[in-house]
Amino acid sequence: MTNKFELSIISAESKVFEGKVENILVPGMVGDFLVLSNHAPCISSIRPGFLEFSEGTSDKQRYFVSGGIIEVNNNMVSVLVDSAVSGDKVVKEDISNLISEVDDRLSSEDTVNKDDLGLRKNDLEEALKQA
Amino acid sequence: MPSLKDLKIRIDSVKSTRKITKAMQMVAAAKLRKAQESAERGRPYAEKMRDIVSNLASSVKNVAGDNKFLGDGNDCNKFLLIVATAERGLCGGFNSSIVKLAKSRIAELKSQNKEVKILTIGKKGREQLNREFESLFISHVDLSNERNITIDTARKISMDIISRFENGEYEVAEIFYNKFASVISQIPSSYKLLPVSINEKESDASNVSFNFEPDEDEILNEIIPKSIATSIFSVLQENAASEQGSRMAAMDNATRNAGEMIDKLTIDFNRSRQAAITNELIEIISGAEAL
Repeated sequence: MTNKFELSIISAESKVFEGKVENILVPGMVGDFLVLSNHAPCISSIRPGFLEFSEGTSDKQRYFVSGGIIEVNNNMVSVLVDSAVSGDKVVKEDISNLISEVDDRLSSEDTVNKDDLGLRKNDLEEALKQA
Repeated sequence: MPSLKDLKIRIDSVKSTRKITKAMQMVAAAKLRKAQESAERGRPYAEKMRDIVSNLASSVKNVAGDNKFLGDGNDCNKFLLIVATAERGLCGGFNSSIVKLAKSRIAELKSQNKEVKILTIGKKGREQLNREFESLFISHVDLSNERNITIDTARKISMDIISRFENGEYEVAEIFYNKFASVISQIPSSYKLLPVSINEKESDASNVSFNFEPDEDEILNEIIPKSIATSIFSVLQENAASEQGSRMAAMDNATRNAGEMIDKLTIDFNRSRQAAITNELIEIISGAEAL
């Protein structure tokens, strides 16, 4: 038996997932990373992309997240997401909508952090390819 | 002495008022349940967010380095008061109790010669504060088109608040709202939203050293706007639940009062009807005797 750890994916409006999992692949801000049990404590921000984890059986679960924060502490992994959609339900349109939203904000003049928004757009486009 | 007809009209009018208040009470009860459920669902996120922020803040403190969002808010001169009230009235003392608390805070800050600005959420608070403090208003958030409060609404409000903070329009933000203690009791409360203060007591014994990706400062810059949006979201949710609870209590009272009034008027009505009958009988009898 492989080691499992507690994972909870929480959005501001509801609990998305809670249970024991073997591993989780996270689209971190600096790069994707895999969390297994007994991972060192860490806090990282998440870029828009797909979150993948498996509960032990062969099939993986996939969620599209539009950004958030992950905390790993003592075999308790908490993912706070802005919004999460189960991989099966992800419609390309949703992601395209997010992209055009970012575009709108890019074109409005008073935005200060254009670099951040540009990066976000890249991430979203990447996710669109994977969907 | 009002005539029989007058009494009848009054009884009917109070009866229809009672119907309205009864309906409003039941609507408020249904909405209250919904509001409580959604507040319940949002709680885990808010709690975890608080944990992470305090973990972050304490480790940032160890590493030193000053984040613009962190601080204890002492020695600041520019204050922003965010007053969150309801869009509708007829909910007892709900709105005025928040406004009262905000007013006393304004008076306190003014006596210390601080600069005060006001941002209102919800129409009722704006109306009440407008009379005295019109010049202090900087913005107003209208929630009348929002059937249910969503996190997106809270995000928009927090983005506005944060950009004003970054532009130096104010140094300390405090938010006023009604805390939902129970259906019959709501406590007007306030707390400091910005800057985020580091709680010594919360960085407890489990002083784990976290790895941060990217570094602490960047994560803080990312997470604090989120945590503020979350705080505003939970404030709005508590407010919504309190509003409905308060309205339910107020309408329950009104329904009961209307009932009492109807009983009293019915007695008056019966008495005057009996008086009229007795009068007629006397007339008939004395008429018969005269023959």
